[in-house]
Amino acid sequence: MMNKILFVIMTALLFISCSNDDDTPQEYIPAAFEKGILITNEGPFGNGSGNITFVSEDYSTVTQNIYRTVNGTQLGNIVQSMGFQDANAYIVVNNSNKIMVANRYSFEAVDSIKTGINNPRYFIGVDGNKGYITNWGDPNDTNDDFVAVLDLRDNTVSSTIPVSFGPERMVSYNSKIYVAHQGGFGQNNVISVISGNTLESTITVGDVPNSMVVSGNSLFVLCGGNPNYTGNETAGSLVEINLSNNEILNTYTFGTVEHPSNLTMDGNNLFYSLDGKVYSLNITSISLPGNNIIDGFFYTMEAKDGMLYATDADDFASRGSLIIYDLSTNQQVQDFQTGIVPGGIYFNE
Amino acid sequence: MKQIGFHIILIIFLCSISANAQLDSIQHLPEVMLTDSKLVHFSKGFKLEKLDDSIVGRNANSLTETLRYNSSIYFKENGYGMVSSPSFRGTNAAQTAVIWNGININSVFTGQTDFNIISPLNYDEISIRSGGGGVQYGSGAVGGSIHLNNTFSFKKIDTTELGLRFGSFATLGGSASTTHTWGNHYLNVGVDFISSDNDYDYVGKNQKNNHGEFLRFSAKINEARKLENGVATWNSEYTYNDRNFSGSLNTVGTDAYKDIATRNLWQIQQKLGAFQTKIAAAHLFEQYRYFPNSEESFYDEGSANTFVSYFQAEVFLLKKLRIHGKLEYNYITAEGTNVGKNDRKTLAAVFLLNHKISEKFTYEINLRKEFLNEFDNPWLFSADAKWKISPRYGIRLNGSKNYRIPTFNDLYWYAGGNANLQPETSYQVEMGQELTFGKLSTDIAAYYISSENLIKWVPGNSGIWEPMNIQKARNYGFEAAIGYFIKLNNQQTLDFNANYSYTQAQDLEKEKQLIYVPFHKASGTLEYTHKKLNVYAQGLFNGKAYTTTDNSDSVAGYTVFNFGAEYQLPFEPNITFGGRLKNIFNTYYENVAFRPMPSRNFEIFLNFKI
Repeated sequence: MMNKILFVIMTALLFISCSNDDDTPQEYIPAAFEKGILITNEGPFGNGSGNITFVSEDYSTVTQNIYRTVNGTQLGNIVQSMGFQDANAYIVVNNSNKIMVANRYSFEAVDSIKTGINNPRYFIGVDGNKGYITNWGDPNDTNDDFVAVLDLRDNTVSSTIPVSFGPERMVSYNSKIYVAHQGGFGQNNVISVISGNTLESTITVGDVPNSMVVSGNSLFVLCGGNPNYTGNETAGSLVEINLSNNEILNTYTFGTVEHPSNLTMDGNNLFYSLDGKVYSLNITSISLPGNNIIDGFFYTMEAKDGMLYATDADDFASRGSLIIYDLSTNQQVQDFQTGIVPGGIYFNE
Repeated sequence: MKQIGFHIILIIFLCSISANAQLDSIQHLPEVMLTDSKLVHFSKGFKLEKLDDSIVGRNANSLTETLRYNSSIYFKENGYGMVSSPSFRGTNAAQTAVIWNGININSVFTGQTDFNIISPLNYDEISIRSGGGGVQYGSGAVGGSIHLNNTFSFKKIDTTELGLRFGSFATLGGSASTTHTWGNHYLNVGVDFISSDNDYDYVGKNQKNNHGEFLRFSAKINEARKLENGVATWNSEYTYNDRNFSGSLNTVGTDAYKDIATRNLWQIQQKLGAFQTKIAAAHLFEQYRYFPNSEESFYDEGSANTFVSYFQAEVFLLKKLRIHGKLEYNYITAEGTNVGKNDRKTLAAVFLLNHKISEKFTYEINLRKEFLNEFDNPWLFSADAKWKISPRYGIRLNGSKNYRIPTFNDLYWYAGGNANLQPETSYQVEMGQELTFGKLSTDIAAYYISSENLIKWVPGNSGIWEPMNIQKARNYGFEAAIGYFIKLNNQQTLDFNANYSYTQAQDLEKEKQLIYVPFHKASGTLEYTHKKLNVYAQGLFNGKAYTTTDNSDSVAGYTVFNFGAEYQLPFEPNITFGGRLKNIFNTYYENVAFRPMPSRNFEIFLNFKI
């Protein structure tokens, strides 16, 4: 209840300050969610709505369902992910087939994108006025996948780039977009390189590339490998790509029955999860599997400033949690309840 | 061990055959005969409710609707006309068996019956049997069973009935049935269909139920022929459903589902000396096609053929002891996009005993053992008793062990299916009381069900969901039914019927209420009749139900009312017409979270008898 009152006051303050300070946008505007951790919760599949949980930077407050609290409306079914560009958050609502645009600090609704996308997965913003959205189309159809190019000035899809099956997460480097093709309801093994409105090249990596990080001039791609049930099980791998020529520098291979996921990076260390354990690797001397630092099954993980943020989706039909570990001791320091199926961890700072 | 069990059954069976029987010297065939008589003969200590034809006729759109307003069963319906699964006494949908003329017709793939794909029309009897029926009806009869039965008769019948229905959202329905007897023959043929655009408004949401169109067609043939010492029967039905699946408040519906079912049952009942014997063979076919996008031709599919054959013999001794033995062999072969091709063979032996000690007291003992299939098959048993203490007061008691074997989806789904699953098992006890005060009749039942090894799909290590025998649940609650009938004068009557149920269904590990099991449900009908005019009001209260396993979210409770009227033409009693206004207060309600149910709507009907 206190949180709600606080909210109303905060939001009211925001309105007042916004209207007064329109001509001086550089000035400091206090906003409810300016500093802290944002969790996107997918919500129950098929019906119901996903939502966003906010944890303040000092871990002192947790606020559930912030988008609805601010705007009075639900986000929609399966809040898959969120991306940012300047002050805007682009919330990808997969099953409702839309992108909800909100101010990333206040979560006031700004706009929405409902046309030109089909089964959207992830958003990334580049160069101030361009955004990219990966789309699966029909997840059983291997030929209808595309990346939508978004003009962020009016939030409309300006162009569509057909790509290989199952485009998922993206990272950007030097205005280029690297798209990992995990493979929809099947499996794939490529990274698409997009520049402007064109598909520049593809890089073949291991099977099922599920997460990526950029370190210096290198792109690290963690590939899960084909799972056992495909009948063509392949080993997971960690692939290092040289971003200046898009060539593979190194491939580190896991055991055949090992299927790692959730690659994240903090400083010189890479972290990933495998079979209920979190491992760390030093980028300068990689040798698999690395050090087992934490035990636990996590749905997603992000490492940042000496902390590991990890989510537990429990049985996927009840509220999950965000668990925070101090990477200097590998001990849990905090534990917060989230919404249902917490699938994305983001930071406002 | 299995072998020993089998021999015990055989010995009991043979003993009963050799028993020196003193029998009724003359056994007349009853006027109306059931195709599944054990439902009547061996369910004395169970709550058995038979739905009136008028109730079925009024709620003819689907079996969901028929039962929702007239029983304590809760239905979880994904929007009107969409997938509808029952929860009987807080058990899951696969723990409610649907029995067609004595044959279990739950899907081989899902273990459950979608109550919206069954037309309630053209059955002679729809009954609800509460409590465990695993011994008699096999896997899935845990919370209770719904019986769709046909009867036959050799007295003179020559009737044809036609019905037309029209309602909001471009709903159109029709039914025709004809029944004839001649000589030693009985023949009944019926067809019915319903189609609807189903594009109702979401009350107060400024949204419509798009993409929820449905169509159902079904045809039934029931035939019987008198033999020298018995009777041969054939029951047959065909159902076709074509539905688009509607979206929710947050999603746009794109998928569609088409399914076909055919069912055939041949039985020969013969009197052999002291024994009533029956040989039966049945074939069930089910096929589904799931279209992720209704506009495209791509689909996933599955089809299953089930062959059932059984032999049973029943003997009625000293006018008080009825003994029944049955051997049943089932062969299922199924193939599907996601389950591959698999089969299952099951042999079951069943022993039923009904002993009427006096006019007041009857008890029953039932046993079942299965063989051949790949599971650890437990012995199933049930025992029950009925004690009629006075003409106005009776007590029922029953206890049983029931089970549900894993479905083909559970076992073979690609990916995740778990071939090592074992059957779910449950123990239950129930006590019921029947009380009559003049025109008021009441029935109160309290039950306790303890289930273990419940199959639940959980995310595995590799991110693939797998079914596991991990859940334990405890259900308890009570059900109250009340009926009151008064004759106001020679021309006017008032009839009131209501059901209330209180259900606790707990996941024992989480110590939380199971999802989609409301604590409270009540329904009732008040009916007033004046000569040929009949008006009634129907009400339904469905309490809040949790939608998450930690009980953090719920779907709100609701109350809806319907009002209907029927009139039989005084100068032409073969014509009846009427209508019903549904959801008269235009209440917004959801059965499943974010899936609104229809706004205020109407339907009218016209029935002819020829």
